[in-house]
Amino acid sequence: MSQRIFHHPVLGSMEERTALQFQFNGAVYTAYEGETIAGALLAAGVRTLRVHEETGAPRGIYCNIGHCYECRVHVDGIPTVRACMTLVTEGMCVTAGSVLPTPLKKGGHAK
Amino acid sequence: MDAQQVIICRCEEVSLEELLSTAREYQCTARELKLRTRAGMGCCGGRTCRILIEQIVEQATGQVPTHTVSLGYQPPVRPISFQTLGGKSS
Repeated sequence: MSQRIFHHPVLGSMEERTALQFQFNGAVYTAYEGETIAGALLAAGVRTLRVHEETGAPRGIYCNIGHCYECRVHVDGIPTVRACMTLVTEGMCVTAGSVLPTPLKKGGHAK
Repeated sequence: MDAQQVIICRCEEVSLEELLSTAREYQCTARELKLRTRAGMGCCGGRTCRILIEQIVEQATGQVPTHTVSLGYQPPVRPISFQTLGGKSS
């Protein structure tokens, strides 16, 4: 369910903007032109943007100003892209980071 | 506040408890604490937790950060991908 604020008591109503379709982990979401990936996904109720590479703990927006790299995702195959700093483009394919193998760690997992 | 629950380094997922116990056990410098726990060695380059790590060391060992040997800034100052370094525009 969309959590987007269309009518704000102080800021007023959202002006007409071009809707863009993009994918996150295979599902299609709608963003508006000028919105970041993190913003559009937050409006769509998606809070988990990736999992920690080693422990699998869920991660999402932390600083939202491009400082902390907590919201890093893969965009069209390019890894480590900050969702909070990247504007959505039409047909963009975003995937969440997943747990990586730790074959050299004691008790680690190969895959 | 549960020190086990408080994450200091989010990139490498290192808790306050882990940092405090390591700093107390080894009475080490901020740099050694970083190398022992990997705190500050993650994707963001320690930009979020650097100051906290130095404060933890100060609290546990009494060492005041001098900024000559402890946690310095190495180039590139901002995290940059090999793709960008190789001239491929992102």
